[in-house]
Amino acid sequence: MRSLDQLFEHSARSLASRSSRRSLLAALGQALMGAALLPLLPIDRGSRAQAADAKPKTAGPESCAYWKYCAIDGFLCACCGGTSTSCPPGTGSSPITWIGTCHNPGDGRDYIVSYNDCCGKTSCGTCACERDEGEKPLYRPSRNNDLNWCMANAESNYHCTVSVILGVAEK
Amino acid sequence: MRRAFAAAAALAAALLVRAAHGSPQQDYILYCMGCHGDQAQGVPGKVPPLAGSLALFMRSAAGRDYLLRVPGAANSALTDARLTAVLNWLAESFPPEAMTARPEPFTVAEVARVRRSPLANVQETRREVVRALAASGRAPPAAY
Repeated sequence: MRSLDQLFEHSARSLASRSSRRSLLAALGQALMGAALLPLLPIDRGSRAQAADAKPKTAGPESCAYWKYCAIDGFLCACCGGTSTSCPPGTGSSPITWIGTCHNPGDGRDYIVSYNDCCGKTSCGTCACERDEGEKPLYRPSRNNDLNWCMANAESNYHCTVSVILGVAEK
Repeated sequence: MRRAFAAAAALAAALLVRAAHGSPQQDYILYCMGCHGDQAQGVPGKVPPLAGSLALFMRSAAGRDYLLRVPGAANSALTDARLTAVLNWLAESFPPEAMTARPEPFTVAEVARVRRSPLANVQETRREVVRALAASGRAPPAAY
């Protein structure tokens, strides 16, 4: 124990003889000043702007550009008091649907999407979105989405459309 | 309603897990499920059920002709071979309760021959076919 005391006393006295409080303050001051000046140094903002361009912000469920809306034709329920997968209060989902296949750029896979109309209230009128990928003319009713899919509901008023992912479309 | 919808979506998702491209299952989902439903259950009063009914219609020649000439089959965008596969998959996957004898599967030649002449009066033909089937055993419902 005593030898430990001696060791620490020796190292403390040795440090004190080589430094002073003033030199410590000077070193700290330099470090703080350097840190404060660092953000002022010139930086390459051009490259950051390019990176932002290369990776655009992905559209969300309230935007018609959202990837899973690729075959939709209607008002987005996400803007009408519901979400992209659930009907707004006061409406009910149609039992018959329009089915599409959309490419998800996030993972590079194709997904089968069911577009169910929400029925029972007058048209939402907000966020109209018509992309119609894979649609066929009306003489192919099962591949046409101009039909009112609320026709099978007791309340056949069309309000908006939800998009439910059913699974991955295998190639 | 939301819960029921989520459950239906989950069921459909489960149905899809093993689906491969061009498989009858995936063709059913893409070309038939929109109207007939994820369990081929149809919509009461609007869309006829396939579950439980299809295999019963396949018992007779008239029933088989009826199935291939209804709008959903006659006007389908599917090729003869893919439509044949979907119909046989449906009969196998959604059989009537307690049905022991499996119906003879459709052949591509049969489908190709019959589907080219769509029915003029679907409801009337259905009633006639169902009446004849009922006289010789189990029959699907005349109305849905």
